[in-house]
Amino acid sequence: MSTSALNHNAPAARRPLTVRGLGKSFGGIHAVKDISFDVRPGEIVGLIGPNGAGKTTCFNLITGFYGPDTGEVRFGADEVTGCKPYHMARMGIVRSFQKTNILKSLTVFENVLTGHYMEARQPLWRTFFPGRAVRETELAVRDSAARIVQMLGLAHRINTPASVLSCGELRLLEVALALAAKPQILMLDEPAAGLNSQEARNFGEILKTLLGDLVQSILIVEHNMGLVMNVSDRIVVMNFGEKLAEGTPAQIQADTRVIDAYLGGGKKA
Amino acid sequence: MKFEKHCLWALMALGAMLPFVVQDQYVLHIAIMVLFYAILATSLNLVVGYVGEFSLGHTAFLGTGAYAAALLSTQYGWPIWATIPTAGVLAAIMGFIVGGITLRLQGPFFVIVTLSFAEVLRLVADNWIALTNGPMGIAGIPQPELLKEASNLAAKQFYYAIVWALLALALYLSFRFVHSNAGRAAVAVRENRYVAQSIGIRPLSYSMLALVLGAMLSGMAGGFYAHYISFVGPEVFRFAFMISMIIMVLIGGKGTLVGPLIGALLVTFLEEYLREAKELRLSIFGLAVIAIVLFLPRGLMGFITQRREARSSAATSLQSTPAADGRPA
Repeated sequence: MSTSALNHNAPAARRPLTVRGLGKSFGGIHAVKDISFDVRPGEIVGLIGPNGAGKTTCFNLITGFYGPDTGEVRFGADEVTGCKPYHMARMGIVRSFQKTNILKSLTVFENVLTGHYMEARQPLWRTFFPGRAVRETELAVRDSAARIVQMLGLAHRINTPASVLSCGELRLLEVALALAAKPQILMLDEPAAGLNSQEARNFGEILKTLLGDLVQSILIVEHNMGLVMNVSDRIVVMNFGEKLAEGTPAQIQADTRVIDAYLGGGKKA
Repeated sequence: MKFEKHCLWALMALGAMLPFVVQDQYVLHIAIMVLFYAILATSLNLVVGYVGEFSLGHTAFLGTGAYAAALLSTQYGWPIWATIPTAGVLAAIMGFIVGGITLRLQGPFFVIVTLSFAEVLRLVADNWIALTNGPMGIAGIPQPELLKEASNLAAKQFYYAIVWALLALALYLSFRFVHSNAGRAAVAVRENRYVAQSIGIRPLSYSMLALVLGAMLSGMAGGFYAHYISFVGPEVFRFAFMISMIIMVLIGGKGTLVGPLIGALLVTFLEEYLREAKELRLSIFGLAVIAIVLFLPRGLMGFITQRREARSSAATSLQSTPAADGRPA
């Protein structure tokens, strides 16, 4: 793990995320084996595959929740393999979780405000003796939190405790929380699970608006094929821990191996 | 946040006025104990309420502070102005050491290891006779020069002023911590460690900050206690202190700043007035804790805040009908 990599917080650098030969086994089972792909600036990349294909494990390996057995993860020129999760976040790679993970007892606004942690960080003594600078930062992050809530269409719920939100709202809140950390690369693990098709379509539209303005690129794991095919520039398909195919949505939909393994033959069968 | 701030100001203002109204030594003694316990409960609440880890070893810091103040003033003749802050610093260092070991654990593991830390310190205090005088404890901790000529009542008022100032400091630091980015980070760690890490928070930093801050505050309370009682024995590490602190935090409402104050007030008064029913007292407390955990899991303050929120949201949805102007919460 390179510690020099931790100082690169400047948003100016547009850097690709490069994954090479990533592998991890759990007690003799290869959960992920030799996975390589890139997420280039300005792209939405979809990561799809059947249940148990290793998509979430991939996420955990990239974001440092697991340490990989083999392979490397680079962010621009920095080697970030096996960095701690909070280091990854501080470098600008922020993820959401498959099982809804939010701060349950807080309100929507407080959740998103907490997400601004890195922006509002201050020296320790400033915690106890905040000066004008701290107050200004607080105002700025509160402003930004309100804007993010607004952007994801949760404005009417802004002071509602997260514990009483509907499933769809929770998923949006999760994305809001990740966005609040101002990531360069946003990694979403099944963000549309539990959404109905209308909600999923809206969600796809929201995702597209994020790109460029707020985040540089998005890596998304999703089972809702309508959504993935619609938003992704490129798609990586995994099966049994290995990479099966990579290409544009059109190429993937035509790929017979992908159809056999995951998409299903449909009418042709 | 506003509501909490106003409550704190009101309670502290009431506290400041008390010695001018009350001239009774006994009542003043109880008031001093209420404020002393309020500091302890506030400091424990930082760990239990905001980091969400249940520390049963908080007496370790209280005892460290008490012994530090006792030793510094009896052996080296330090005045009270120096011993209390030093007690706080030493307890904070102890907090850093204990935290460095225990905060890597969570849930029941954390509870057990912190409990054993306090127990080990009690054994040390009991057996390191050269330093701590063993079970005999350290007696005759000198009173400040100022009080040489003063009456008993004046001495009580003097100690009341000190403990009030300490509580004010404790509340100031806690308030700043809780309503800062650091406090939000601690709450994020309490609610969900994974989310906390995914937004760039290093969990250990903030659980450590809360623990060290709590340790410092209870160390200063311990230093005060040593001077006020003028005796420190191994029983400062006793579990009884811990039980009182826990009950106060739970009854008042963990995760709120006002809660522990209410808890300290209620429990100290109950302990005093139920003194005659010695054995029964503990049973009553036990039942009270069970009832609180079952019916008011967020404590009295949590309950009140919930009521206020429910009422204000009902008020906005009904466009402030008269029903909303009941008595103030």
